[in-house]
Amino acid sequence: MHLPDMQHPPLAGNACECRLTYHDGTRRLVYCVDQEEPFPDGRLIVSRTNLGGFITHANEAFIAMSGYTVEELIGAPHHILRHPEMPKAAFADLWTTIASGKKWHGYVKNLRKDGLFYWVYATVIPNVRAGVVVSYTSVRRKPSRRKINEMSDLYTKMLSQERAAQ
Amino acid sequence: MKLNFMVAPDFSPDRFAGWHMVNTLLQSRSGLHLHLLTPASAQEQSELLRRDAVDLIYANPFDAAHLIRDLGFRAFARPMGKPDEMVIATAAASPLKRLEDLRPGSRIAVTDNRDVKLIGLRLLEAADLTDKDLQWVLVETFQAGARLAIKGEVDAAFFLAEIYHTLSRITRSQLKVLIESAIFDITHVLLAHQRVLSEVPAIMAALAGIGQQAADHEVLDALGIPKGFAVMQEEEAEFMVDLMDTLLD
Repeated sequence: MHLPDMQHPPLAGNACECRLTYHDGTRRLVYCVDQEEPFPDGRLIVSRTNLGGFITHANEAFIAMSGYTVEELIGAPHHILRHPEMPKAAFADLWTTIASGKKWHGYVKNLRKDGLFYWVYATVIPNVRAGVVVSYTSVRRKPSRRKINEMSDLYTKMLSQERAAQ
Repeated sequence: MKLNFMVAPDFSPDRFAGWHMVNTLLQSRSGLHLHLLTPASAQEQSELLRRDAVDLIYANPFDAAHLIRDLGFRAFARPMGKPDEMVIATAAASPLKRLEDLRPGSRIAVTDNRDVKLIGLRLLEAADLTDKDLQWVLVETFQAGARLAIKGEVDAAFFLAEIYHTLSRITRSQLKVLIESAIFDITHVLLAHQRVLSEVPAIMAALAGIGQQAADHEVLDALGIPKGFAVMQEEEAEFMVDLMDTLLD
């Protein structure tokens, strides 16, 4: 599924502009605003995708934090939340891990529809039914500020290396 | 045929009579002989399960994962509008104002309720705290945890939210909530062992019917589940078990 380009965020005139290329070769223009949306206290962000990574379930916290409507999310690829400051290697590791039937943990900076970002600590597990992986469940928790700072630095370095290698 | 119906030991003492009332109603409306088991602790519950002495169980979500995936139980109902949430609270007079004020070495009162501890630990990640960073003070009941927190003998206490909100007004006035979970997707579940699955339709019909007669509301109120029970499909239970799995580490 090809995602339409993002609309320029109404909240900020100085949003940065970036054209992302996803793993399936599709491209999308996105806008990023350097402003964090705090993770809601006490909540879990829960979603489920099919084996192709298309969203089949989103809980209320997911919908609220993403800024999209449920209609926009269901059926959309999970990379609708991809922030340009996330290195591709992180997602490659995620897909390799869950495709092998294992649980994946990681820190992720997500992009909202309005261009703001939010950090999560994500766990993704394969949903096994009668011995067969039928879908994936992703649960996101609130990360500590120390971990966010640590991962932000790490991802900046990884991203620089990826760009240098291109 | 007698079925042993066990209720997980994590309900408020106030609800004890409610479970006996429900058991009586289920028996009279299903025609089945149900023997109610109310273990006093998680250990006692484990022992009953180890002896294979349980046919039906009202289980917390943490145990449900093991019961469904490993012991052959199947979910058939869940309480409506009653998610399992937890509260971390400190003394009202404590200098702690928010979760992030807790520091390594903090003393935390916990019961042996594993759901509550698990969810609490996940919430504490935001404060950069893990299991080994904290000093755990094991208490018999949530009420005992409240007393320790109020006296300042622990920095905070973990509570099942439902029980926290049923503490007396005086007790709650001496406590301060640092955080309350709002997960919504996790609930207790009613499970049947696979050897009694043929009896489930009769039990479910009786269970779903509680609330349809005027006098039933007294029973549901006594149970703290005023909206009653809804059918839980197998896939709904599997989804919850997957969700719990993501919280284990």
